[in-house]
Amino acid sequence: MTTATLETPIPTKPAKQKVMLVEGNEAAALGVALARPDMVAVYPITPQSSLVEHVAKLIADGKMDADIVDAEGEHSVLSVLQGGALAGARTYTATCGPGLAFMFEPYFRTSGMRLPIVMSIVTRDGITPQSVWGGHQDAMTVREVGWVQVYCETVQEVLDTTIMAFKIAEHHDVMLPVNVCLDGNYLSYGTSRVELPNQEDVDAFMGAKDVNWHVALDPLRPMAVDPLTGGSGGKGPSTFVRYRKGQCRGMQNSLRVIEEVHAEWAQRFGRSFAPLVEEYRLDGADYAIMTLGSMTGAAKDAIDEARDAGKKVGLIKIKTFSPFPVEALLKSLNKIQALGVVDRSVGFRWNCGPMYQETMGVLYRLGRHIPSMSFIGGLAGADITTGHFHRVIEATEKLLSSPAPIEPVWLNEKD
Amino acid sequence: MGTFGGAYNTIAFDANKCDGCGDCMTACATAKVGVGDTARSRIQIVGSADDGFELALCRQCADPKCVTVCPAAALTKNSASGVIDWNGDKCVDCLLCTVGCAYAGIALDAGTGHVAKCDTCDGAPACVPACPHDALTYITTSRIYNEVGDWEDLFAPGLAGCQGCNTELLMRHTLRRTGPETVLATPPGCVPGMGSVGFNGTTGTKVPVFHPLLTNTAAMLAGVKRQYKRVGREVLALAIAGDGGASDVGFQSLSGAAERNEQILFMVVDNEGYMNTGMQRSSCTPYGAWTSTTPVGQGTGSGGMPSQGKTQDAKNLPLIMVNHRCEYVATASTAYMEDLYDKLDKAIAASKRGFAYLHVYSPCTTGWRFPTDQNMEVARKAVETNFVMLWEYNPADGLHFTRPVDDPLPVTEYLKAMGRFRHLSEDQISHIQGKVVENLAFVKQMAHVAKA
Repeated sequence: MTTATLETPIPTKPAKQKVMLVEGNEAAALGVALARPDMVAVYPITPQSSLVEHVAKLIADGKMDADIVDAEGEHSVLSVLQGGALAGARTYTATCGPGLAFMFEPYFRTSGMRLPIVMSIVTRDGITPQSVWGGHQDAMTVREVGWVQVYCETVQEVLDTTIMAFKIAEHHDVMLPVNVCLDGNYLSYGTSRVELPNQEDVDAFMGAKDVNWHVALDPLRPMAVDPLTGGSGGKGPSTFVRYRKGQCRGMQNSLRVIEEVHAEWAQRFGRSFAPLVEEYRLDGADYAIMTLGSMTGAAKDAIDEARDAGKKVGLIKIKTFSPFPVEALLKSLNKIQALGVVDRSVGFRWNCGPMYQETMGVLYRLGRHIPSMSFIGGLAGADITTGHFHRVIEATEKLLSSPAPIEPVWLNEKD
Repeated sequence: MGTFGGAYNTIAFDANKCDGCGDCMTACATAKVGVGDTARSRIQIVGSADDGFELALCRQCADPKCVTVCPAAALTKNSASGVIDWNGDKCVDCLLCTVGCAYAGIALDAGTGHVAKCDTCDGAPACVPACPHDALTYITTSRIYNEVGDWEDLFAPGLAGCQGCNTELLMRHTLRRTGPETVLATPPGCVPGMGSVGFNGTTGTKVPVFHPLLTNTAAMLAGVKRQYKRVGREVLALAIAGDGGASDVGFQSLSGAAERNEQILFMVVDNEGYMNTGMQRSSCTPYGAWTSTTPVGQGTGSGGMPSQGKTQDAKNLPLIMVNHRCEYVATASTAYMEDLYDKLDKAIAASKRGFAYLHVYSPCTTGWRFPTDQNMEVARKAVETNFVMLWEYNPADGLHFTRPVDDPLPVTEYLKAMGRFRHLSEDQISHIQGKVVENLAFVKQMAHVAKA
């Protein structure tokens, strides 16, 4: 057993990097190539398609040395990768929406088998109503399945996080699959300037690959992978309990590892991203709005404008959604008196956004009551503009003096 | 010798062909004592044309009573040839051996005053070619066991299969053949139900083994194989799956892997339903069969059809696999192990080039409702009636029958052996017989087309 430690010293100054203009899907593909997976399995689906097309082209052009499996559907895509990972392969795929739904059976099992597969979710709203446009409903629907899920804000963050995801997933204290979520349409097709890390620097960052040290299908060390467990008592269910508890421990460990990996990334490559929770102009704020993913750009602009107008408002952005960063979020929530949470998906059970629902659990731990409310916007591709965020800011500000509404605010309902 | 002990050549006798002419005895006596005195032959034909003929001949027993009773150690089993050797130097002429043998295979030769017995003429018995009616043949019944017996049994002893089930036999033989450099996938069904992947941290298998999902066996296995191929390691990727998972819910991943020509060996153990989980219908369940989800009842079922078992014909999964143009596709039966072994060898070889598919019919004592000692007989009757056809396919040679049955028994001979068909009406039986004829014609046509 080896431990995932730094194999080369961190340079004191980041190396100069190539500058490119790419869409988010291509940035993800470039990140995948730099992480050197052994196996990539693909099945196209809008708005993920150009991502796997870029991966296929990189391999066809000899710029990426990976076995590519054009599987007949997402269910097999993830299944092929499970087999590959059990044989020691570093593995990658991408999907979204209906593809993720079709993949659910092996998806649930990936985290249970502790396979460090990395998968981008190019987020798409849930059907039906039929739509091929962006929204977080797909990723949110599977937030309770034991995968680490991180959401990106920019194209550069997509590229960098895709590489970091492999290191997080394969860390021996984690050994869990990771979803890198990038917003369909806004990040998948949004074109930005990016800096492309050098291969040798990424190799040094990644260290040695050791994917199946814990569970393997290998004639050199034969074992039964995933034998039956359970029963009404005794060793059967207790074995199951130990597996599950280990999964939960791995999830909690990932919070620390995500922070460590982001810190190392910043040192090696000179780009710093808040690993769990980002605070934007929160110091001195009376209240805050909370965001996730690419909407944060417009939200920050709105915050700047509101601050210029004298409003004491700040922003909290979640990057790591699963596991939910309770401790980090508590620190931020401790600074404010009211909160408005903007979700790009719905939670059918609580009649609010899923991130709002999760945050309510954190608010309970705060030990004091702060009023809060849920906003739902950006469904089915709708743009959440600074105008929408000004409405969010105004409504949240009112919470300081008026009772909080129970109903969520649907931002794009009357656009 | 391995755990099976040895299996050797033997002189086989077909009483239906024998007319009692005695040519074999003349040949034997001539070869052994130089004169054609049939009384001194070591092979004796007894009986009459009216009552039929029987053979008095040494069977070269694996557990020979003559050897056991001999007080002088004059008789010994030769482990190389399988022949029971008689040593005249040690023999005390007590004749206890002639009493011990149940086959009258060793007797006093009055000409020498000692016992005499068949020594197979050192592997070229004179009696066999002397028979004008081919009633005698010198054959190997089970050469396969000699080599297989030397290979390691890679399943744990005492697996929890139903009494009388052939699948355990199939699992043991298959893994002996594939050897330890195998990764085995056993999706939910009878095979893991027997304990192949074990319970609560134990394992029933000495090779790496896993439960895929019922739905993704071929895909997961393809991933395993591809990675070993990438790193240059020769590992056989083997699935032993049930018919339900393969033909129903796992069919997409099976078809996808076959289309991509993944280098795996996919074996389906076809017991014609979800037998492990309570004998429910699968798309491989034949027409008319009772299952727990196609029960026999008084009312009318869906579509106004009487509730008298399954109302649809079975999906022919192996023919569907032929249409994927796999490297190798074959049907086999647990009652014809040599045929199965030959196909297993070909499938293993083909899986190094691409997708190999082996469809093994394996009767289910529990789900098909027949006595536990009748499994081989049921499997055999399926073939003898052409209900099951044994054939193989590869892209170069096309499809051909490996055990054609030109004069099949009526399908009732098969149906009546099982409780699951007990309720069948005349109409249902005639439907099944019609389907047997139709399926035979269809496969024959494919064989014909392949040849052309």
